[in-house]
Amino acid sequence: MTMATPETVRALALGASRLLAGTDEGSPRSYRHHRDVHGDLSTMDKRALVDALAAVGMRGRGGAAFPVAEKLSSTAAGRGTEVVVNLSEGEPASHKDRVLALTAPHLVIDGALVVAGALRTSRVSIGVRDAAAERSLRLALGERRDARAVRLLPAPDAFVAGEARAVLRSLEGQPAVPPGRRVLPSVAGVRGRPTFISNAETFAHIGLLGAHGVAWYGEIGGVSERGTTLLTLIGDVPDVGVVEVPLGTPLVDIVGPGSGPVLVGGYHGTWLGSVDGLQLDRSELHRRGVHLGAGVIARLPEDACALSEVAGVMRWLADESAGQCGPCFFGLPALAGDLADLSAGRLPVAGFEGLQRRLAVIPGRGACTHPDGAVMFARSALAALQPEVAEHLAHGGCGRAHVGVLPLDTTSEVSR
Amino acid sequence: MTTPLRHPRLHVDWTRCDGHGLCARLLAERVMLDEWGFPIVAGELDDAELVAAARLAARSCPALALRVETGAQG
Repeated sequence: MTMATPETVRALALGASRLLAGTDEGSPRSYRHHRDVHGDLSTMDKRALVDALAAVGMRGRGGAAFPVAEKLSSTAAGRGTEVVVNLSEGEPASHKDRVLALTAPHLVIDGALVVAGALRTSRVSIGVRDAAAERSLRLALGERRDARAVRLLPAPDAFVAGEARAVLRSLEGQPAVPPGRRVLPSVAGVRGRPTFISNAETFAHIGLLGAHGVAWYGEIGGVSERGTTLLTLIGDVPDVGVVEVPLGTPLVDIVGPGSGPVLVGGYHGTWLGSVDGLQLDRSELHRRGVHLGAGVIARLPEDACALSEVAGVMRWLADESAGQCGPCFFGLPALAGDLADLSAGRLPVAGFEGLQRRLAVIPGRGACTHPDGAVMFARSALAALQPEVAEHLAHGGCGRAHVGVLPLDTTSEVSR
Repeated sequence: MTTPLRHPRLHVDWTRCDGHGLCARLLAERVMLDEWGFPIVAGELDDAELVAAARLAARSCPALALRVETGAQG
């Protein structure tokens, strides 16, 4: 389903407006207004910034949730070091980075400059895919004297192309697929140089930290990580679209009182029958086997056939394989076929057992975590949707229609 | 990260592996093939004979997709 991109972009603050402070109905403010809202940016040396990031427990917002202090600490400072902002946002259901670029581009730039200052480098690049986001960033960069050297580079349009190392390869003019050898970018990234690459929203939070300091940043948030985070909410929820939420907020306050199944973490995420007792805290969610990913949370309406949604996404995930690795290239289409059969009520019991076996052997056998994420999505669906799975196996269906709540087209926009 | 491994490990470069299957023949105790012919490596190389077989598999792989890792490079 393709929907026209709305002219203005709206994001909502649920309980705390930090990233969204001073923004209004999606139009970006001038650099002067941005400095009025956030004050001057202070530079920090690497040690001070690492300590500040550790103090607030900041984790990356791109999906892997790596501790940012550790990433910075392990990146060598120096003139050759590269800072890369990943704004490729390959997940079709996620719009947070685009919204950030359109409403608060200066925060993203602030964060990149803070990191570059700490690493004593002037090599800063922003990899961006969306045309409107690129325009917004270009205008914002043009307003600033301190960002003359920041390069805006096009990032390719594909799910795995948004993976950090794939983005780095595309910046070097190589195919935007994850490399076969697992070398951390902090050790050798762009052209073999130490590279600090992180999601655009992560940089925006670093910008907040640089402008307001640790004490302010730590005033709200969760137990293991302070501050707020951006989520993209979809389906039967009170507030559809991008929202800013304090970490630690109970999930039921975010997804509302609906009774349909909930998907936390987008298409490499985890299906849940209920979110009771869960909070927006990555460590706690991780302990319970739930992965927030890039912050996409969807609740299906009660009248939707959940398995048909799952089958649709699995087909999309299979098509997004980079095609480099056998277990993914062959395994994901096989899983997609199994789930389509299950959804259509034509999967025999032996086929269901075969599906379980495939889910067991595919993870961990690829150059990136795409197959692992896809399996997590499928496995958690089968667990959370057991009653519906049983109906499809026994009776060929559940009586509910395919609604198409989960978007599969990267050009579609959730409009409010 | 440079954490030494307890035992050497057979590492697959999945972007090179083409499912030729020699590794499963040369190291049958540790490698089996999935339904599409790609290796499933299970277990460690916890004796000298297994390490030797793994090294032979790595040398023999037509796609140069295998490497015996000792943990010197995480």
